[in-house]
Amino acid sequence: MRKASILDPGFDLTLRPMRYPVFFEMYKDAIKNTWTVDEIDWSQDLTDLRERLLPSERHMINRLVAFFATGDSIVANNLVLNLYKHINSPEARMYLSRQLFEEALHVQFYLTLLDTYIPDPKERNAAFAAVENIPSIRKKAEFCFKWIDSIDSLEEAKTPEQRRQFLLNLVCFSSCIEGLFFFAAFAYVYFLRSKGLLNGLASGTNWVFRDESCHMNFAFEVVGTVREEHPELWDERMHADIVEMMKEAVECEMGFAEDLLEGGVPGLSLRDMRTYLEFVADQRLSNLGLPAHFGSKNPFSFMELQDVQELSNFFERRVSAYQIGVEGEVAFDESF
Amino acid sequence: MNQTAAPPRDHTTSSTEAGIGMHVQKRNGDLEPVDVNKIVRAVALCAHGLDAIDSLRVATRTISGLYDGATTAELDRLSIQTAAALTAEEPEYSKLAARLLSVYIGKEVRQQDIQSFSQSVKFGHQAGLINERTAEFVETNRRKLNDSIEKDRDQLFRYFGLRTVYDRYLLKNPDSRLVLETPQYFFMRVACGLAETPSEAIEFYRLISSLEYMASSPTLFNSGTMRTQLSSCYLLDSPGDDLMAIYKKYADIARLSKYAGGIGLAYHRVRSKGSLIQGTNGHSNGIVPFLKTLDSSVAAVNQGGRRKGAACVYLESWHADIEDFLELRENTGDEARRTHNLNLANWIPDLFMERVEANAEWTLFDPAKTPELCDTFGDDFRQAYEQAEAGGRGERTVKARDLYSRMMRALAQTGNGWMTFKDHSNLKCNQTGTPGNVVHLSNLCTEIIEVTSDAETAVCNLGSVNLSKFVLENGNFDFDHLGEVVRTAVKYLDRVIDINYYPTESAGSSNARWRPVGLGLMGMQDVFFQMRLPFDSEEALDLSTRIQKEIYFHALDTSCRIAEESGAHPSFEETRAARGDLQFDLWNVQPEDQSRFDALKARIKTHGLRNSLLIAIAPTATIASISGCYECIEPQISNLFKRETLSGDFLQINNYLVADLKKAGLWTDEMRNKIKRSEGSVQDIEELSADMRLLYRTAWEIPQKALIDLGAARGPYIDQSQSLNLFMETPSIGKLSSMYMYAWKKGLKTTYYLRSRPATRIRQTDAQTNVDVATNPTDGYKSSDALACSLENPESCESCQ
Repeated sequence: MRKASILDPGFDLTLRPMRYPVFFEMYKDAIKNTWTVDEIDWSQDLTDLRERLLPSERHMINRLVAFFATGDSIVANNLVLNLYKHINSPEARMYLSRQLFEEALHVQFYLTLLDTYIPDPKERNAAFAAVENIPSIRKKAEFCFKWIDSIDSLEEAKTPEQRRQFLLNLVCFSSCIEGLFFFAAFAYVYFLRSKGLLNGLASGTNWVFRDESCHMNFAFEVVGTVREEHPELWDERMHADIVEMMKEAVECEMGFAEDLLEGGVPGLSLRDMRTYLEFVADQRLSNLGLPAHFGSKNPFSFMELQDVQELSNFFERRVSAYQIGVEGEVAFDESF
Repeated sequence: MNQTAAPPRDHTTSSTEAGIGMHVQKRNGDLEPVDVNKIVRAVALCAHGLDAIDSLRVATRTISGLYDGATTAELDRLSIQTAAALTAEEPEYSKLAARLLSVYIGKEVRQQDIQSFSQSVKFGHQAGLINERTAEFVETNRRKLNDSIEKDRDQLFRYFGLRTVYDRYLLKNPDSRLVLETPQYFFMRVACGLAETPSEAIEFYRLISSLEYMASSPTLFNSGTMRTQLSSCYLLDSPGDDLMAIYKKYADIARLSKYAGGIGLAYHRVRSKGSLIQGTNGHSNGIVPFLKTLDSSVAAVNQGGRRKGAACVYLESWHADIEDFLELRENTGDEARRTHNLNLANWIPDLFMERVEANAEWTLFDPAKTPELCDTFGDDFRQAYEQAEAGGRGERTVKARDLYSRMMRALAQTGNGWMTFKDHSNLKCNQTGTPGNVVHLSNLCTEIIEVTSDAETAVCNLGSVNLSKFVLENGNFDFDHLGEVVRTAVKYLDRVIDINYYPTESAGSSNARWRPVGLGLMGMQDVFFQMRLPFDSEEALDLSTRIQKEIYFHALDTSCRIAEESGAHPSFEETRAARGDLQFDLWNVQPEDQSRFDALKARIKTHGLRNSLLIAIAPTATIASISGCYECIEPQISNLFKRETLSGDFLQINNYLVADLKKAGLWTDEMRNKIKRSEGSVQDIEELSADMRLLYRTAWEIPQKALIDLGAARGPYIDQSQSLNLFMETPSIGKLSSMYMYAWKKGLKTTYYLRSRPATRIRQTDAQTNVDVATNPTDGYKSSDALACSLENPESCESCQ
């Protein structure tokens, strides 16, 4: 009998004929994007931290790295405990395995970051324990745990109600955690980068950003698949729940922003941060096929800068944009 | 400041909303309510003559980024950033941001009680930054020099240029880190560092502050300072084949790179892997471990925090470690055999290219056994190589094409492993007129071609003419003015040789003998845009060649005049010019206007030349930014791109295109987003005329053959070489091998980076969804087919086109 749903419980092992080739393509694309933490040059960052950052910016960056230290671990846990279990497609599970590696890579990146940025062992340990002792980070983690716990006891996503719960978990992790919390964190990094600060952090963040974009895309693809297979799940209630969740996430992130920007960072006001978060939240709603809720425009021109082709002066940064595989034979008559 | 500037438009209703209840902290510590009108006035004062500026918009956006209790200096800085961020929408904001920054810098300088140029120099002298000679010179001539400062010339800057000057070129108070000089004081300080009389100082100040010509970065950094290292390039011959020589070279390189010089270093003489070491009866590990040490050494010396040290290692194609060498920049593999900080270049004999073409074998040698291969070129090299082959002295034999293919792969994968041609470089070098004088390498940017030996480290100081300033309103190119600028430029390039601080003895003695300089150019692409010539058109080729010929002629003429007064350079008799051969003769090209060159040759015969070499086209990365033009001879990379530097990210937009689009009424948000989505290309934008699309192609869209043809056509008027980058979106071995074979056949001495695009891209964050959300908020969700497009491969995605 033909299976009706990607959420049918079990362990489908059949790759041919492939039911969801899009996931396999995503898996292959992800592999092309491999990077390593060793490629990052931190040398300028340390000088910046010591000499060029304002005290208020230093506070901001300390809080930020503390958040990074736990953020990706939480995502990885949810992936293992919840997503892998319920998404019953071997090709999608291949992608998730790859994503799991990327999450580990991100954790390694942030581990190296903290080890590099915070030389004092006591302070460093405190940063790693941020989720215990920094209230604004604690609050974000609680938001995450709430949605992990919500399907913790879910053994199978069989009934419409169970599938609803699963979808909300997936939406939370893709749209709120990866899609909003991380995007906010990227904004702080890119703000500093737009001022020429912390290039090591920025170049690693670029690659994390690229990975996270793919993770989100994958999640939206799963949501879309479930939606096609079970249009009835996508009702007014789901819509309202998602909007409510986004609003909660924005408030949660604003609490974090208040902590980060406590010392006053010129160029990053709380007001602009809220507008930005609302803008990103609207984008996530749009990704999910829902109308915009906030109607805000992106106030951060430095985020726009991230899209544009770069031209590095080789005295200043490594140009990392080169091809990996090159094919062909020596010839003298090809056009160029 | 012009007080008759247009008053800000009346926006009282909206302006009352911004910044309500917020305060700024004044310099005396008092808190004052934020007054949007005050900010609007300050912005409007700087916006005179800039019609497209909306001062209120800058003011409200500035306030929106402000926090309660910020200082007025923070407010000033924020308004500058805000204006700069609007550049992508309207290029005039770049001018506005530059003017706001100029005002800000002025405040910073005056805040330290520095009210004039001479006070600035005095302060700098007391702080231990300015040298005695310059301080005295300025003190003696202070009235004249102060009076000659033209503050309005700050208006010539665009934001990116002035920002670069402010962040990195202006001298800073060692304690407070505040800048001690305004941009105009800075230009005058550079001029005074090279001048012997006040009128000379003023002459050179006027030249560089006009941005029509710019000295190289080391000259701008160091002229007039305690350490007058003014040269850009140092070329070091290979260390000899022994341990002490190798380690002494590290120390030389560290000394040279400490003061902002870029390093070229040959490594041909060091024995290859497996070679017997007599002293220990062991076997050598070859050149890689030594280059690894060099890699760390170069990274450790960061040029006083102003920019990272940088070096390029050259290796001849017959060296038996060539294959390991080509892998040094790869991202994978044993880290002990990788050098991420070094640039690499192949020093290629004609014989190798011939064997590649003939699909023949190629023998690799250990220089410990064939030392003669390093010091020969042309027929002598051919003979020596074939003899060594016949004598069975080779280490290994490979197929020439296999090695060539590996060179191409290294270029494609790393951009490095530049193709530079040993015989073209030697046979067409003015310095190799006498046996024993051999060019062993080029430099960090492949534009310097000078002889080296163990006793001679070649040095070159550089400067570039900004061609973007020479197109007249009637659309003609101003060759007369070009000639004048070249004459002044050469005079002060020559001057640098005598004032320069030489970090090593071998550099000083070489420069005294040869007195080489490198006059280059920048803004070629600007000229083509201004005159509406597609990069690959015949007219563009004719014009570029003629410009180069004029520069060469006037440079030679000036050098000959200086020789008339001060004597020829000591080694003039060893040069090809002494035998009546100028660069074009070496290319077997005769200029159409031969008679004036004949007259010049006659004078050179009598008086000699003050400089053995005069012309080199450097990449001009930073000074083109300062001068606000495109880099040297390069086509534009994109109509819209981000420039990442130590000072942060800056958006650069093609102002010529924007002006054209405005004229056609096409410069809209939608158009801007289209250009952004197509990554700076306008080829698929149907609203543009075919002519415009042809003109505004990017480097990726122009046939590379045209770049090589342009380079080869100007080559007969370049006595050193040119930093010629080549661009290929998706390189293949077939295309690359055809391209570099063509470049060699056309007689180019050197090529520089191969630029290719990343295999995967960073996601376009918001450009596309921005538009989607704005125009059609409910259409964000796409069916699975559309979503299958990978964000990493936007070019394969229909919805992103």
